[in-house]
Amino acid sequence: MSVRVSMGSCCVTPNRKPETGNTVKMRIALAGNANVGKSVLFNYLTGMSQHVANWPGKTVELAEGRLRFGDYDIEVIDLPGIYSFSTFSIEERVSEEYIMGRKPDVVINVVDSTALERNLFFTLQLLELGVPVVMALNQVDAARKRGIAIDEKKLGSLLGVPVVPTVATKGLGVQKLVVCCIGLAKRRKASQGRAKYGKEVERRIGKLEAMLTGRELGFPARYAAIRLLESRGASIGYTDNKDRELAEKARRLAEEIERIHGEPASIVMSNERYAVASETATNVQSLTKGGEALAERIDDLTTHRVFGYVIMLLVLGGVFYTIFAFGGFLSTAISDFFNIFRPAGASLSGNLLWEGLVGGFVAGLTLVLPYVLPFYFLLSLLEDTGYITRVAYLLDGLAHRIGFHGKAIIPLLLGYGCNVPACIGCRIMEYDRDRLITAFAVTLVPCTARMVVILTLVAAFLGIWWAAAIYIGDIVLIAILAKAAFKVLPGEPVGLIMEMPRYRLPSLKTVAKQTVLRTKSLLTIVFPYYIGGGLVLALLQLSGVLALLNDLLQPLIVGWMGLPAFAGTLLIFGIVRKEFIVVLPSVLYGTTDLAQIFTPLQMVVLASVAMLYIPCFATIEALRREFGWKKALFITGFEIVLAVVVGGLLARLLPALGLP
Amino acid sequence: MAEKRTPEAEEYLEAMARAREAGNRPTVSELASALSVSKASVSQMLAKMAQRGLVKCEKYGEIALTQSGAAEGARVLRKHRLIERFLAFIGLRRNVHKEACVLEHAVSDEVEKQMRNAMRHAHPAAVPLTSLGNGESARVAIVDAGTKASQRLADMGLTKGTRLTLIKAAPFKGPVKILVRDTTLALGRSVAGRILVEVSR
Repeated sequence: MSVRVSMGSCCVTPNRKPETGNTVKMRIALAGNANVGKSVLFNYLTGMSQHVANWPGKTVELAEGRLRFGDYDIEVIDLPGIYSFSTFSIEERVSEEYIMGRKPDVVINVVDSTALERNLFFTLQLLELGVPVVMALNQVDAARKRGIAIDEKKLGSLLGVPVVPTVATKGLGVQKLVVCCIGLAKRRKASQGRAKYGKEVERRIGKLEAMLTGRELGFPARYAAIRLLESRGASIGYTDNKDRELAEKARRLAEEIERIHGEPASIVMSNERYAVASETATNVQSLTKGGEALAERIDDLTTHRVFGYVIMLLVLGGVFYTIFAFGGFLSTAISDFFNIFRPAGASLSGNLLWEGLVGGFVAGLTLVLPYVLPFYFLLSLLEDTGYITRVAYLLDGLAHRIGFHGKAIIPLLLGYGCNVPACIGCRIMEYDRDRLITAFAVTLVPCTARMVVILTLVAAFLGIWWAAAIYIGDIVLIAILAKAAFKVLPGEPVGLIMEMPRYRLPSLKTVAKQTVLRTKSLLTIVFPYYIGGGLVLALLQLSGVLALLNDLLQPLIVGWMGLPAFAGTLLIFGIVRKEFIVVLPSVLYGTTDLAQIFTPLQMVVLASVAMLYIPCFATIEALRREFGWKKALFITGFEIVLAVVVGGLLARLLPALGLP
Repeated sequence: MAEKRTPEAEEYLEAMARAREAGNRPTVSELASALSVSKASVSQMLAKMAQRGLVKCEKYGEIALTQSGAAEGARVLRKHRLIERFLAFIGLRRNVHKEACVLEHAVSDEVEKQMRNAMRHAHPAAVPLTSLGNGESARVAIVDAGTKASQRLADMGLTKGTRLTLIKAAPFKGPVKILVRDTTLALGRSVAGRILVEVSR
């Protein structure tokens, strides 16, 4: 199918060649709502040249990439998907700071043409920032299918910005979009768009604006004035100094607006903005009867009160089964390959050095390639189609019994791949309390490394059902502990507010790139800990400290949990990489038949303890980054105690079930 | 005043009045699933109600209210909505719909009148979003979900006067799925219960 993209109201002719020889540097930022195809466009623009950058001081990641276009060397930044700048969430502040602080040459506002009104709401706020904006009117094909035709020229002239219709999934209109951006950047002109709100509001914005003009502001005076009104004078950061008089004035004006409308000033501003967005959308849209029956029928089915759950179990079961089956196969193949190079018959210390240095690298391969990569791939697929939000929808009611809301399901699922990105993924929770408790629950989710332990120790020797029992027991434990955590930490339960994007066919390219990007950013966090931690352990071993520690742990390891004496060493090594726990016994004993080393009871106890006892170093670091040292250490300490208690109880209870 | 109906008959009338408002005529099986009873008992009940001149059967198995049936159905529905508003007003946040279903049969016309008078100063005709039926549309009246959540909801398009449609609710007291400004949103039951809407006529 081809979509004809007509010439919009812009700028330079597409064939115009810039002067050859010297490259011109440019910076473009992508901004827009979530689920509008922003990442798809970003991927299309930047190809594989992407990396994830952390915004200094804030826990938000921005994807950056490069685009070579003629003589232009363009840095492209994908800002987080947000609905407004008004709730002061981390993502919103970072986007705002980026646009104002780094001053990109052009901001591309990516807009979903099937929900124009809602998208224009953000556009209006973006325009108030007074930066050059080009609108990418995305998914025009989907809009057409639904019977929505948008007059982009009229829209462009109403808003005062160039508008380019695009279908990012097919790359349609993207070239023109870039040409348009370059043209706008050359003219260095801020967009002229300016929404006019109700009289009583405009008058008060004007008053504040008058007080603000002439000052050194990081923001346009009008934008700062509106923000001051919205925050009732609290966001004094938008002005150059701590001006009490200004804050007081803003508060008074906001109160006047509140008296007129009977609602908080910030809500009144949202109402006003939506009024303009709605009027603009009605003006440029013409609707005919259209249909997208299939996507809607699938939606109905996958959120059905019975079939929805059946489908969900099949899908999630399929994901995990694929990873177990495929990962196990590939992992064995890779480690067998590398074992060829293992120094044969070397001393224990030699082996440890090998494990520390080369092993860190091999672990990356035997873990990341077979398990993490396919997991990320499948998860990205579920995200890209929009299915993951249906899972959140279906499970919200159950999650609420514990205290979570449905969105927590997403990082928890991610945790089964690797805890590190899952802890970071907890940012999707709006409130700190939910974020912390979700992250705590995430660290108890057995990641792929722990899966390797459970599979090789338990599933291989005692059967898959014992492994399944450990997984299910873990879910029950998480539910109980999370519920307790919600009881202990004060706060109100928070409700779910989530957009459910329309189903769409996944773009394999986007999914693949997303997978690579995620894996890359994971490796940069994990590898230093793998290798560094391995070296430290080798040193501990050589200096004899490790043996000392192992001796100190004896009462717990042998006395309380009934494990073999050397299990202490295993668990210490496991802090760096959990799969050491099953790799090391074969190094120490020179056999891969773990049944010769452990009794079945010890296998179950060790696997359960390994699953719970501590988040690995990389995860502790992720927790520290997200929540600070104190909370990271508290969670770590708590889980050590938890694992010891559970291990000891299992060692006493399981024999009653007939486990030798 | 009309003769006293059993609560059961009133539930039937209310369900049909609701369908009538949406421009539908329910079938026996639709009524059965709306009231969560068996088809057999629906047929039995409808036969009784037809005898009393409240309903009549139309073509294609559709059931329509007679004039007097429609009037009584509208009365029950009106009471139901008033009670919901009242319960929301006195701070009930959960099971507002369920509680109203029980109370509506016990509230006499006299009590209803007094209640309506007293509620005049509360917001007119606003019910919690959760009390809408599947496919029912309404306009946003009051969003009282806490500062941050209210702002988020406003930014996602739930501003005063905005038309929304409830698509369905998830089981296990799960979220409701609504359509607003061409966007589908999932709202947790607690959040949805704190959004009051006016049912459009």
